[in-house]
Amino acid sequence: MHLALIDWVIIVGYLVGCMSAGIWMRRYIRGVEDFAVAGRAMDLNLGIASLAATELGLVTVMYTAQLGFTNGFAGATVGVLVAVAMYLVGRTGFVIGPLRRAGVMTIPELFQRRFGTKVRWLAGLFIVLGGVLNMGIFLRLGGEFLVAATGMPAHWLEWVMTMLLSMILLYTVLGGMLSVLVTDYLQFIVKGLGIVVTSILVIASVGWHDLVQGLWHCWQGGVAGTGQTLNAHPFNPFHASSFGWGYLLWQLVFQVAAVTTWQTQISRVLSARDEMTAKRMYRRTAFYFVGRFALPGLWGAAALVYFSQHGGLPAALQGLPANEASLRATPAYLGLLLPTGFIGLLLAAALAAEMSTDSGYLLTWATVIYNDLIAPCVKKPLSPAARLLITRSLVLAIGLFLLVYGLWYELPGNAFDYLAVTGNIYLASVFTLLVAGLYWRRATTTGAYAALVLGAIGPITFLVVNLVVMKVQQLGVHPPASPSLVQEWLLHFGQSFPDVKPIKPELAGASSFALAFLGMIVGSLMSRRPDESALVPQEEIA
Amino acid sequence: MMTPFVVFWTVMIFASIAWYGFLVFYVGYKGGGEIIAMTKEFKKRDDDETKR
Repeated sequence: MHLALIDWVIIVGYLVGCMSAGIWMRRYIRGVEDFAVAGRAMDLNLGIASLAATELGLVTVMYTAQLGFTNGFAGATVGVLVAVAMYLVGRTGFVIGPLRRAGVMTIPELFQRRFGTKVRWLAGLFIVLGGVLNMGIFLRLGGEFLVAATGMPAHWLEWVMTMLLSMILLYTVLGGMLSVLVTDYLQFIVKGLGIVVTSILVIASVGWHDLVQGLWHCWQGGVAGTGQTLNAHPFNPFHASSFGWGYLLWQLVFQVAAVTTWQTQISRVLSARDEMTAKRMYRRTAFYFVGRFALPGLWGAAALVYFSQHGGLPAALQGLPANEASLRATPAYLGLLLPTGFIGLLLAAALAAEMSTDSGYLLTWATVIYNDLIAPCVKKPLSPAARLLITRSLVLAIGLFLLVYGLWYELPGNAFDYLAVTGNIYLASVFTLLVAGLYWRRATTTGAYAALVLGAIGPITFLVVNLVVMKVQQLGVHPPASPSLVQEWLLHFGQSFPDVKPIKPELAGASSFALAFLGMIVGSLMSRRPDESALVPQEEIA
Repeated sequence: MMTPFVVFWTVMIFASIAWYGFLVFYVGYKGGGEIIAMTKEFKKRDDDETKR
């Protein structure tokens, strides 16, 4: 381990402070409204801290640093697009304005007013499945960061993350959104400090000019060392070797959908004191999302340049598949770079990142399960105490599920594709329902069902097609001596369509949205005009 | 080589560091005040309910 006493003091001090504040807030919980949306008493700066803290988790740091390692600074382009989307939505109030005015606790609750209880239930199911499965990878990736940065034995990962999740569960179960807000605030400060100090140390260590020159050398293939050559242009995201125009245009649309639909972000909108606070929170948090990609991306780019100038990746990372090596390169570099005291701050920041995201997500999905899956099925109204008990139990149950599914159970090889697909099902269908429900008076329940079904069929179809194409290509390279029936079919498919290629993510994603919107339009126009009394009043939308 | 893209990313990265540093102190100060105000509001609500 690289940790000295001062590092341990910082880490333990942070954990004790955070837990105490979180548990203290339980005294103000009186009902589900306090537990789920903090009694709608959240003001602007607390909202900024909470939104920023929840959306910058350790899993985000890992991915964005990896983008910096593989794509240079251009890897942060998606962060710029998220910032543009956040600012536009905060400026116009698109979706978030009417959603906050409607006074609901979750997105599906709004669907009940427009499309009925069954659509609310089905949309709630999509949201929970997409959200919880998406969260399944958080613990392991967060643990891998800690292992690589501290040099702790790899077999400690499961136990360390189990302890961390237990602490998160304790304050989230007791204090709900009130605890989440206060701990998010502390975590925002610790995380912000850690990110700023680490970024300054990285630049001071490599030197800005040398970093830029080093990236050019890696791109032009002028450096030796395993895995040290950049295959994508390090600065120009529109270059054919980088993201390209098509992908970036798609990402802009996707990010607008994400910032108006992703329930963990929307739960901050719904907890805000009023609509104006929610919109200002979005505008002021927008630029934070550039740094969310650019600063870990800076660390990743610096790791690439550093290793390229020091004989390649460290021994522990050599021999790993390229994707895994690039994922672990940045924490390994930070472990080498940061001096005593700073590694403690970085680890406290990393724990803060993991805790703020996990607590916010646990609470959000538990609230949706109670509010949209259980409550509509209960005929007799439950007492406030019973409702609170159920929501708390759900937070605990999701936590236990995550422990088994995300930490102690090894995900199958193509799990990441699977998770991307579940996220796409959620966003395509729920975004369509939200936009149509709020802004199109002709939208009907039939249209909503069609959008939900087509929004799900699209991504699943693309997953299957890409899986078939990948297997066909693998079999083409290494044909088996005695192929099975399925392999024979795949080989025959490959011979019939020799030029077949996987569907690009931007095409798959855009088509999912197009299918969901098509379902909504055709389904609505083919069914009876909705009852005017069921519509969300125009003054709530305007 | 200083291309417009290099200049763009230089501005973005240094502006992000400055913005994060500013937010830590600004939101730290203002957010702390909001937490105190929020807890007072909840306490007053609970006291009112107890009186009733």
